[in-house]
Amino acid sequence: MDKICGTGAIERVSMRHKRTIRNRLFYAAIIYLAILGAAAVAAPLISPYNPTDQHLNDRLKPPSGHYLLGTDDFGRDILSRLIFGSRSALLVGIVSVSIAGAIGVTVGLIAALSGGIIDNILMLLMDSILSFPTVLLAITVVSFLGYGLLQVMLAIGVIFSPVFARLVRAETLAIKTEGFVEASRALGSSTLKIVFLHIIPNLIGKVIVQGSITFAISISIEASLSFLGLGTQPPTPSWGLMLKDARNYLVQAPWMALYPGIALALTVLSFNIIGDTLSEKINPRLQQ
Amino acid sequence: MKKRGGKILFLLLIALLLTPGQLIAKGQREKRVLNVSISGNPDTLDPQKTSGTLTFQVDKSIFDTLVEPDQNGKIVPALAKSWSVSPDSLTWTFKLRRGVIFHNGDKLTSTDVKATFERILDKKTASPKAKEFAAIEKILTPDDYTVIFKLKQKSAPFLASLASGWGAILPKRLIENGHDFASKPVGTGPYSLEEWVRDSKIVLKKNPNYWMKGHPIIQTVVINIIPERSVVIQGMLAGQLDIAFRINREDIPTLEKDSNIKIEKNLSALILVMAINCSRPPLNDLRVRQAINYAIDKQKVLDIAYGGGKVIGTFMDYSNPYYKDFTNLYPYNPEKARELLKEAGVTKDRVFQLVLPQNYAPHVKAGEMYQEMLSKVGMNVKIKLVDWPTWISEVYRQSKFDLTVIGHTGKLDPDGTLGGYGGGRYVKWKNKECLDLINKARVTMGFKARKALYDRALEIMAKDVPFMYLGTPYVYNALKRDVIGFRVTPKLDTLDFRWTKFVGQAQ
Repeated sequence: MDKICGTGAIERVSMRHKRTIRNRLFYAAIIYLAILGAAAVAAPLISPYNPTDQHLNDRLKPPSGHYLLGTDDFGRDILSRLIFGSRSALLVGIVSVSIAGAIGVTVGLIAALSGGIIDNILMLLMDSILSFPTVLLAITVVSFLGYGLLQVMLAIGVIFSPVFARLVRAETLAIKTEGFVEASRALGSSTLKIVFLHIIPNLIGKVIVQGSITFAISISIEASLSFLGLGTQPPTPSWGLMLKDARNYLVQAPWMALYPGIALALTVLSFNIIGDTLSEKINPRLQQ
Repeated sequence: MKKRGGKILFLLLIALLLTPGQLIAKGQREKRVLNVSISGNPDTLDPQKTSGTLTFQVDKSIFDTLVEPDQNGKIVPALAKSWSVSPDSLTWTFKLRRGVIFHNGDKLTSTDVKATFERILDKKTASPKAKEFAAIEKILTPDDYTVIFKLKQKSAPFLASLASGWGAILPKRLIENGHDFASKPVGTGPYSLEEWVRDSKIVLKKNPNYWMKGHPIIQTVVINIIPERSVVIQGMLAGQLDIAFRINREDIPTLEKDSNIKIEKNLSALILVMAINCSRPPLNDLRVRQAINYAIDKQKVLDIAYGGGKVIGTFMDYSNPYYKDFTNLYPYNPEKARELLKEAGVTKDRVFQLVLPQNYAPHVKAGEMYQEMLSKVGMNVKIKLVDWPTWISEVYRQSKFDLTVIGHTGKLDPDGTLGGYGGGRYVKWKNKECLDLINKARVTMGFKARKALYDRALEIMAKDVPFMYLGTPYVYNALKRDVIGFRVTPKLDTLDFRWTKFVGQAQ
C-alpha cells in the first residue's frame, strides 16, 4: 500500500515537473514571438542598415562590430535583412491562416449544418485538396498565379482550408446534438442565432490551436517556395530567399545560412509549442 | 588447419590486390577512360534537327564539317582540304579530302555532301537551321571529290554556316534509308557513338580511321550528364571526373584546394546586356537610355554576378575580330545619370519592370545589382522573375518588358549576332541606317570591307544604346592536372577531344 502510494507520488511529481517545463517553454515561445513581432513592426527603426543596400566593397564579411551578423554576397547587412525578413514571415502566417480559417470555418459550418448532398460535395472537394502533397500543390498554384508573396499566401490559404473545414465540421456535428443547442432550437432560435451564439464560441478554442500550428507550417512553406525562387521576389528580404542565396556560399560564408536558419527554426518551433500547449489546456482529457 | 587456411587465403588476397595494380600501371594510361561532365541531356543527336547547344557539344566528336573554326575562330579546312570562291561570290568550290570513312564503313564522296545539304533544306526535315543555307540554289558534284555550291545571292556568312555544328556531313546511303540519326548518329568524326543512356551518360569510342593522323588520342570518352552543380563538384573532388565543363566561379575555391585539379579560364563568346525596350516611354528617350548606361558599374557587376570578364561598349563579344572598343562612351557616372533622368523628367512614379529569367542565376544576380544601382540614381525598378519559356514567349517574342537581363551567344559570323537589329528585334529599336549597314554587310565579301560596315553599325548601336552593354564573361572548366589538350571550339562552345590526352600518354 505504501509502495503504491509512493510511486503515485513520484509519478505526480514527474508529471508536474513535465508540466512546468512545458509552461516555461510556452512562455519562452511567447516571449520570442513577442520580440519577433515587435522587431517586425519597428523594423525600420531598429535595423542598422537598409536591408536592400548593397555594400559591394564589404561582400561576404563575417560577423563583426560593423556588421553584427555579417554580410551576404551583395554586401547587404544580414541582421537588417533578418529583421525585415520577419515581416514577410509573420505576414505570410497571418494572411494564410486568416484565408484558410475563413474558408475552412465557413465550409465546415455549411457542410455540418446542411448535411446530405451539400455536405458530401463540400467535403469531397476539401478531401481532394488534402490528397495532394502540400508543397507540390503550392508550387502548382503559384506557377499558375505567378510568382510572388501575395500568390504564395493565397496558395497556402487555400491549401490549408480543408484542415479547418474538417475540424469545424466534426465539432459542429458534435455540438449540434448537445442539450443546450436542442433547447435553444426548441425555444425557437434561428439557425443563424444558434451558429453565432452557441456553435462558434465553442469552436474558437480549437480553431486557434489549429491556427497556430498552421501558422508554423505556412512560414516554412513560404520559406521553401522562396528558396525555390517562387515566393518572395528579390530584393525584398525573406528568410527562405536568404537561405537560397546562402546555398552557394556554405563553405565561404556559413553565417549567411546560419542566422536565417536559426530564426526560421525558432519561429516554427515557437508556434508549434504554443499550439501544443494550448490544445492541452483546452482539452481537459489531456490535462490531468 | 582452419587457421592456416585463413592465413593462406589472406596472403592470396594481398597478392591479388598487388599484382593487377602493377599490371594495370603500364596499360592504364593507354586504356584510361576520359570522364567529362555536361549540364544536360541533348534532346537529339541529329545535327540537322535542333538548335540546342548540348547536341552540338556532343556532335562535335561524332561528325565533321567541310570547314571548321580553329582555336582563334579562323575558318580552316576540315573535310574539305581547300576551297575557292568565284569573282561574283556566287559559286563556291570545295575539294574534298580523300580516304575519309564514315563510322559505318562508307567512303566519303561529294554525293554525301550533296545529300546532306539537300536533307537540311528539305521541308520534311524541318531543320531550325535550314535558313542558314537558304542561299543555296543548287549543288553540283562534277567528280567524287569536288562539290560546287551555286548560290542565289551573295552570302558572306555562308562559310561560317558550313563550319558550324549544323553543317555536319552525313552519309548518303543512310539518309536514303531514313536512318535514325537522332539516337544513332553516324558521321566521320573522331569518335563514334557506343552507347547513350538517356539522362545519364554518352559513351564515345575512338574512330581508328579518323582522317587526322595521330588523332584522337584517348580511346574512350564518357560524357556524364549531370545537371546538379554540387554533384559535378563532388565528382571532381572524388576523382570520378576528369573534366568538369563550365563550372561556377563560386566553386573554384573548393576545387583549388585539391592539388590534382587545375582550373582553365577562357573568355566566352557571350554578349551580356540589360536590354531596354525602346518602344516604351520614357525608354524611347535617348537620355533615359544613356542614364541607364551611366548608372551601372559594369566591372563590378561582371565580377560579382558573372565571375569576371571584359567590359564591352557595343553589341559584339570582346574576343570577336569585329569587336570595336566603345567603352569610354558611357563610363560609370551616377551623377550624370541622375542629371539626365531629371532632364528627361523621369520620376519615382514611373515603375520600370525588370524581367529576369529565373533559371539563370547569374542573370538574376546581375538584375538585383542593376535594380540597386538604378534606384540609387532615382529610377523606380521592380524585379519580376519568370521561367524560361515565359521569358522566350513574352519578353523575346512579344517584347512585353521594360528592362531585362540576358546574354546573347556570339556567332561565328557577325551577321548571326547583328542581323535584324535596327529593324525592331525584341528591344524594338528602330534605326534605318544601322539596319541598312547590317544588311549590306551580309552581301559584302572580304573581312576589311565588312569590318568597315560593321564598325559603323556598332558605333550607332554604341551611341544610341538600345542596351546597357555589360561585357563578355570568363568561363571556367575544371580539369585533372594530368589532362592536357582539351579544347573548346571558339564561339560554338563545343567540346573537342581530338588533342586531349593524359600526361605521358603516347600519341
